[in-house]
Amino acid sequence: MSTSTPRVDSMKPATPGPTRTAPPRPPDKFPSAGRYPAYLAFGACGAFLMISALVLIGAVWAVGNGEAAWNDYRELLSHPVFLVYHVAAFIGLTWFTLRLFRLFPATQPYRIGPLKRPADAVMVAGLYGLFFTVLAVGTLFLGGALL
Amino acid sequence: MSQETKTFVVTRFDPDKDEVPKTQSYEIPVEGDWKILDALNYIKDEVDPTLSHRWSCRMAVCGSCGMNVNGEPKLTCKDPVSNYGDTVEVAPLSNFPVVRDLVVELEGFMEKFKAVKPWIVVAKERAVEEGTTRQSPDELADFKQFSMCINCMLCYAACPVVSNEPDFIGPAALALGHRYNQDTRDEGAPERNEIFRDEGGVFSCSFANECSEVCPKKVNPAGAIQQAKLRNVLDWAASFVVKRGGKES
Amino acid sequence: MKTLMLKLEPIIWGLFSGGMMVGGILLPVFVLVVGLGGGFGAVDGQALGYDRIQALATHPIGSLLLLAAMALPLWGGAHHLRHLWIDLGGLKSDGLVGALCYGVALVGSLVAILAVFRLHG
Repeated sequence: MSTSTPRVDSMKPATPGPTRTAPPRPPDKFPSAGRYPAYLAFGACGAFLMISALVLIGAVWAVGNGEAAWNDYRELLSHPVFLVYHVAAFIGLTWFTLRLFRLFPATQPYRIGPLKRPADAVMVAGLYGLFFTVLAVGTLFLGGALL
Repeated sequence: MSQETKTFVVTRFDPDKDEVPKTQSYEIPVEGDWKILDALNYIKDEVDPTLSHRWSCRMAVCGSCGMNVNGEPKLTCKDPVSNYGDTVEVAPLSNFPVVRDLVVELEGFMEKFKAVKPWIVVAKERAVEEGTTRQSPDELADFKQFSMCINCMLCYAACPVVSNEPDFIGPAALALGHRYNQDTRDEGAPERNEIFRDEGGVFSCSFANECSEVCPKKVNPAGAIQQAKLRNVLDWAASFVVKRGGKES
Repeated sequence: MKTLMLKLEPIIWGLFSGGMMVGGILLPVFVLVVGLGGGFGAVDGQALGYDRIQALATHPIGSLLLLAAMALPLWGGAHHLRHLWIDLGGLKSDGLVGALCYGVALVGSLVAILAVFRLHG
């Protein structure tokens, strides 16, 4: 049982009951056990989304500045800090997206528009397929192996 | 039946004597087919009559016997003793004030529960002569899952947002509000959506999905709340368009 | 600030969910090819050469994809980090941290639009 003190008393009634109560404790496994670490790591992957979007903005900005600026930008990418970041970001973003897609069916109603929801496994397979297809085709295309 | 013994480390709290909750261990013989609730009842009946815990139906319908078992919110009448090792920790539900031993304060939950107007809201009561309201199986299926809640409050005990945001209405109540919003007989969605969009409403939820993980009735409150978020985004956008259109006309 | 964020919550959440989807699908391609492939020199120099990248970025489809992949994930990330902060007990400073997260997303989105606009200018 966790001994840490509660941060807020969410479930306290507006008017206190007739007897003294012991203060609530946060969920026993929060934050370091059970499913909570994965959930918190998922939220932390927001940093990869933000930073990678900013790095991409830098790329487009550099292209707008002309060839020399673009070449400087590419030079910058081989700096160890960027290399380490991009390894972490690729692993983090991939895990993030696959977890998002795994949870996706739980958020869908019984009917999506006029259609009945497909089986969970079909939805997950479709979204995984989308992710890996975009990754494969996008990589081959942007990397110059297609077209 | 094979007999073995297990040690139950149970949280005790006497509001008249104890400053803070403490634990007490009971080593008892257990039967192979027991649930955690059976062990607690054995302790109460045979070992220590001062132990306080709530229970009623013993068949996962009444929602009274929710407790944290080895740190995980569980309906103890549904949770087999055989799932656990030699030592089992039983504590009151997390996120709730504790009245005594394993009994938690329910009033705060009841207040949040009422906040979402969990009943059918209609502008005008339907007259008996008009007959019954027809609802297709698909229309029923749109909300049936969310109506299976037994108010056991395991979802509140598991939710990290409940432990951080005092105004958060919480999983079971928001899911129930969504259940009525989805009901074709109901006209209360505009009122409820205002509450849903207010402080502590659906957008406070960060989709930890813990509520759905611990729910013993597969209600999927997390899914209900995400659907309510989407519906509120659409309603919010629609109200904007309608309002602006009104001004222009 | 908290009242304003509460009022704007539906639009923020809309941008957030779009950002998770778009960012989660498109950004790994950028990270893999430009970040890792370019950084480690594993991708053919011609492929990431100025002429080709400039042509791709100014293509209407390329510009649209870039806009989506730059602006939306900022909101996805901002919203995630704000809620992570609350989960770790930071509700008291939510007004400040939330404003900071969404502020970066807003300014970043505007810069992203400008960056694409410049390509065509």
